[in-house]
Amino acid sequence: MARLDIDTLTKRYGDFHAVRDVSLQVADGEFLVLLGPSGCGKTTTLRMVAGFIEPTGGSVRLGGRDVTILPPWKRNAGMVFQSYALFPHLTVAQNVAFGLEMRKLGKTEIGKRVEEALALVRLSGFGGRLPRQLSGGQQQRVALARALAIRPDVLLLDEPLSNLDAKLRQEVRVEIRELQQKLGLTTVMVTHDQEEALTMADRLVVMSEGAVRQIGTQRDLYERPADRFVADFVGRSTFFEGMVEAPGRFRTDGGLALACSGGAQGRGSLALRPERVGIAQTPWIGLDNSLPGTVEFVSYLGALIDIHVRLSPRDRLIVHVANREDGFAPEVGQAVHVGWPASAGQIFNE
Amino acid sequence: MSETVAIRGSAVAAPRRRGEGLTATTLIGPATVFVAVSLFAPLSILLRYSLNDFDKATKTMIAAVTPANYIRFFTDAYYTSALATTIEVALLSTIVCLVLGFPLAYVVARTQSRFKNLLIMAIVLPLFVGNAVRAAGWMVIFGNKGFVNAGLMGLGVIEKPLEIMFTEKAVIIGIIAVTLPFMVLSLQSVIEGIDRAVEEAAFSLGAPPLTMFRRVLWPLALPGVLAGTILTFILAMNAYATPYLLGGPLFKMMAPLVYNTFTQQSNWPFGGAIAFILMAVTLTLTVAANLLIQRRTKR
Repeated sequence: MARLDIDTLTKRYGDFHAVRDVSLQVADGEFLVLLGPSGCGKTTTLRMVAGFIEPTGGSVRLGGRDVTILPPWKRNAGMVFQSYALFPHLTVAQNVAFGLEMRKLGKTEIGKRVEEALALVRLSGFGGRLPRQLSGGQQQRVALARALAIRPDVLLLDEPLSNLDAKLRQEVRVEIRELQQKLGLTTVMVTHDQEEALTMADRLVVMSEGAVRQIGTQRDLYERPADRFVADFVGRSTFFEGMVEAPGRFRTDGGLALACSGGAQGRGSLALRPERVGIAQTPWIGLDNSLPGTVEFVSYLGALIDIHVRLSPRDRLIVHVANREDGFAPEVGQAVHVGWPASAGQIFNE
Repeated sequence: MSETVAIRGSAVAAPRRRGEGLTATTLIGPATVFVAVSLFAPLSILLRYSLNDFDKATKTMIAAVTPANYIRFFTDAYYTSALATTIEVALLSTIVCLVLGFPLAYVVARTQSRFKNLLIMAIVLPLFVGNAVRAAGWMVIFGNKGFVNAGLMGLGVIEKPLEIMFTEKAVIIGIIAVTLPFMVLSLQSVIEGIDRAVEEAAFSLGAPPLTMFRRVLWPLALPGVLAGTILTFILAMNAYATPYLLGGPLFKMMAPLVYNTFTQQSNWPFGGAIAFILMAVTLTLTVAANLLIQRRTKR
C-alpha cells in the first residue's frame, strides 16, 4: 500500500473541462470517496488514476512514483468495476490468478494467494465456478478478490455497489469497509450515492462540474458545507432565498424576518437542516426563530417523518421529526409553529 | 387467494402456448420447404448422376452405379492439383481476411462515432457490386498495362510490370474483397457484446495489450472468429467468377472446373462427382478446424 498524490489534474475534451485542477492527497491506508452527481468528473478522475485516460495536465504520484503517463498495466492499481468486468471464460480461481500470472509468480505461490484472496471475501470453495454461475453479490466479491490478490498500491472502486439490490448493498458496504481497514488499503471510491459515501469513507471529496467543491470528513461536509452546492448535495436542506439586511437578520423574498448568524450583508440563501428544526402546536419560547405555518405535506419514512410546512406564499420549510411513540405528528392542513436557533442556519452569499 | 390466481393463470396460459406453437410452425414452414426442395432435391439428383457412367463419343449419360468418376478425380494429378490450389487459396484468403478484418471489426465495434452506421455501410459496400463486375474492374487495375503497373512504371518505381493478373495473388485479393465484409460483420457483432471494462480489467491487472488480446479478447471473440472464418472459407472454396476472370485460363480452382465439366464437356456424372468432392472437402475442413480451435481454447 502506498499514498496517492494527485496534483492539479486536468482533463479537457476540446473546450469542455471534464476535470479541472483537481488536487487530492490520500494517505496510506485511507479510504477516500469521490462524491458527486453524474457528469461531475469523479469517474474521469478515477480513470486517470487507473491510467485509462491520459490527463491533459497535472500529475498522479503513487507511493512517491510519478505514474502520470504510465500505462495501466505498469501501475499496480487494483480496480473494481461497476460491471465487475470478470473474465466470463475463466473460472473464479483463474480470474483471481490472472494478475498474479502477469506478475510471473510461481504456480504454488499463485495457488496460495488465490486461496487467500478468496478466503478474504468468503468465497473459499468457489474457485472452480464460472462467473455466470454466481450471484451478483458473489461476482462483486470475486472482482474485489481479483483486485486485492495483486496486492495493489491503491484500490480503486468505480461505483462498485450500484448493481446490487438495496439490502445487499448495505451489507457489502460494511464488508468492504472492514476489509479495507483490516488490510490498511489505500482506497479511492467513486459514487453518486451519498449514504454509501458517508458509511464508508474516512474523508470525502464533493465534486461538481469537474472541480472539487469541498474535501472533508462526514461531519465537515454536513455541519460546515463550503457552499450551497455541498449543502444541497450532502444531506437535505431547506433553502430560503433572500438577503442579509443587517448582521444577524435575514429577510426572505417571501417577507419573513429570520434571525441568523454569519454571512455578509447582501443577497444569499439561508440553509437549514430539516432535523434541526423543531415543530410544535404552540409558539417556541427561548429559540431565536419561532414562526407559525401550515402543514402542506407529510411523508412517513419509517424512522422519521418528513413534514413540509408553508411559512409564506414563497417560503416552504422541511422538518424531520423522529418517529417516537410520544412524538408530535401533525397532519396536513394543521396549524403549527416551527422554531430553530440562529446558529442552526447557514448563510451562503451569492 | 394467490392459489386461485395461479390456477387461473395456468389455465389461460395453456391454450395460448399451443397457439404459439402453431404460429411457430407457420413461420418456419415456408423456409423449411423451400430449403428442402431447392437444396436437397438437386443434390440427391446430382449424387445419383455422379454414380452414372458417361459415353464420351455420344456425350450421353449411361445409368449405372459405379465409383469410377470419383476414382478418376483422385487418380488424375490435373484434378487433385486443382483441389490443392483451391484449398490453398481458400486457406490463405481466410487467414489474410481474419488478420485484416479483426482490427477493422474492433474499431467499428468500439467506436462511439455517430457515423458508425455509415462506417458499416462502407464495409458492406463491396457487396453492392456483383462479383463479375468487380473482377472486370480488378482486371483493368492489375493488367500489365493496368492502373497499378502503369502508375508504378510511370513513377519509375519499377521497370518491368509486376505480374499480378492471372496469378494466385490476384485471385486471393479478389476473393478477400468479397469475403472481408462477411468477416468484419461476424467479428464486429461479437466484439460489440464484449464489455469494454473486461479489457480494462486485464490492463489494470498488469496485462500489456498483446497479452490482453491473447488471454481475454481473442477467446471471447472466438464465436465471431469461427463464424467469420467459416463464411470466408466456404465462400473462397466455392468462388467461381473471381478465379475464372482473375486467375486466367491456366489457373484451376474447383468451382470453375465443375462448371466447365457440366457445360463444355456435358459430362454430368463427372461434374457431379467433382461438385460432391468440393462440398465434402469444404465441410470436412470447416468442421475439423472448428473442433481444433474450440479444443485449443478449452485447454
